[in-house]
Amino acid sequence: MIAASKKTRQLVSIMAAGSAVAVASAALARAPFTEQELEQQMDSLYAAAQQGYDIWHGSLPSTTTNGLACANCHPDTAASNPQTFPKYMTMYGKVVPWQEMVNWCIENPQLGTRLDPNSDEMTAMKAYAMYLHRGKPIEPGLASRQTTPVVVEFGTGFKREPTGLGVDTREYQP
Amino acid sequence: MADLENKSRRDFLSFAGKAGLTTLVAQAVGINLGVVDIVRAQTGKRGVEPFRFAIISDAHLYSIDNHKFDEQLIAAVSQVNAMNPKPDFVLFGGDVAQNGTEDQLVKGKKILSALEMPMKVIPGEHDWYLDMGEAWRGLFGDETWSFDHKGVHFIGLNSILVRDFWTGAGLSPKERMTVMEMLESPIPGPWGVHEKQLEWLANDVKNLAPDTPIVVFTHSPLWDYYPRWNFQTSDAPEIREILAKFENVMSYHGHVHQTLYNRIGNMSSVAAMSTSWPWPYPPVALAYPETQMNRADPSIATDGQGTQVIDLSGDFEGLVQYKPFEDSLTPFMQDGFKV
Ligand SMILES: [Fe+2]
Ligand SMILES: [Fe+2]
Repeated sequence: MIAASKKTRQLVSIMAAGSAVAVASAALARAPFTEQELEQQMDSLYAAAQQGYDIWHGSLPSTTTNGLACANCHPDTAASNPQTFPKYMTMYGKVVPWQEMVNWCIENPQLGTRLDPNSDEMTAMKAYAMYLHRGKPIEPGLASRQTTPVVVEFGTGFKREPTGLGVDTREYQP
Repeated sequence: MADLENKSRRDFLSFAGKAGLTTLVAQAVGINLGVVDIVRAQTGKRGVEPFRFAIISDAHLYSIDNHKFDEQLIAAVSQVNAMNPKPDFVLFGGDVAQNGTEDQLVKGKKILSALEMPMKVIPGEHDWYLDMGEAWRGLFGDETWSFDHKGVHFIGLNSILVRDFWTGAGLSPKERMTVMEMLESPIPGPWGVHEKQLEWLANDVKNLAPDTPIVVFTHSPLWDYYPRWNFQTSDAPEIREILAKFENVMSYHGHVHQTLYNRIGNMSSVAAMSTSWPWPYPPVALAYPETQMNRADPSIATDGQGTQVIDLSGDFEGLVQYKPFEDSLTPFMQDGFKV
């Protein structure tokens, strides 16, 4: 372990030196992403947010045995405070990442089975919550405050195929 | 045992109402009205004989047996039964069920029947959209009502009516219900009481004098709080217009699952805590932020929930006291506030 971390430190310092050189010579390792590539990347994020939205609203049966889902208490991801993690949580008695807080809610209020914090499902939930907190200041450690997500005007709050029903049919504007 | 279908209890409410209005006359001519203790009661200049009523709201019962929300509603009923002095009656603010199924509504009615005083109920969106209120009406009666009690005119309205989004789309009742169950549902849009109830309301208050004390009870707030979550009633401006002639109107509502106060013109507005879970405060500024409760601690299952009791004075002043299950109130809110 010690050897590995030493190696990592060396690697980091080499990379730092490398990027300094790149800036100095104004040469980029690779051309900037094209508009199309950027759009594809954002569409991947929206797809993850969609999966996270679905899980948030109860699409994963393993996460509940009493019918409750994240959205019961956290509409539009409100009061899930993703930008305040890692922080100290009294139920753990230590500083934990947001994913651990989600697992706490799955196991306790929802009486479900926890997710692998590194699973695609957990990443999807984080993508949804973080997207609805975009632009909010990152404030790690504020355990006692309820923060708010962005104001969602209509729809799900992120770009997706409209359902064709009601107010959801309005065109998405970021 | 309070039973909505129990005729004598309904008669009690309407008789007590008449008694309240005529207490002064009765005292003057020495008539004992029987039901109302006219010796004790001190009628104020607004003609109200002081009394208290309680509000229980948003139980969101699931079909699962021994669900924790069952226990929480039972706790609310015990809390209200133990209040001293006892409330004259209880208003239930809607969302007794989570998915609008008959078994959930029946379970709610059964738990609430342990109340030792009469109860009046209005529907929430979770009660309604599986069968468009059929089971609810069978169990709880009309969703639009008014009665007089000790000089106060109480009005209940169904504020969760949306335009038809399901017929054209060919949605099943279950799908319609699922759409309505989501607070931040992107589909139904704003709800309200709609034309027929506005007409009913105008007619109901037509002959009442402007100094009549009015309490109006709805599931959603009668002001634009956060329309995204239907923390609003789309025809609230029309309701306020109809009630504009009165000196003082008190509005009480459910749906927002939090402590909250607002005032517009002659109308004060007070929200009920739920017995199921607290909703977060939405991303908007409040005119009276001091009426917010503490952030609920997720490690305490019943934090941010409870009941509420309102004492009405002879001058139709209300003392609102939240009665949380846990220590959820800020110091400002501890002893209640006047509306
Ligand atoms: Fe509710
Ligand atoms: Fe509701």
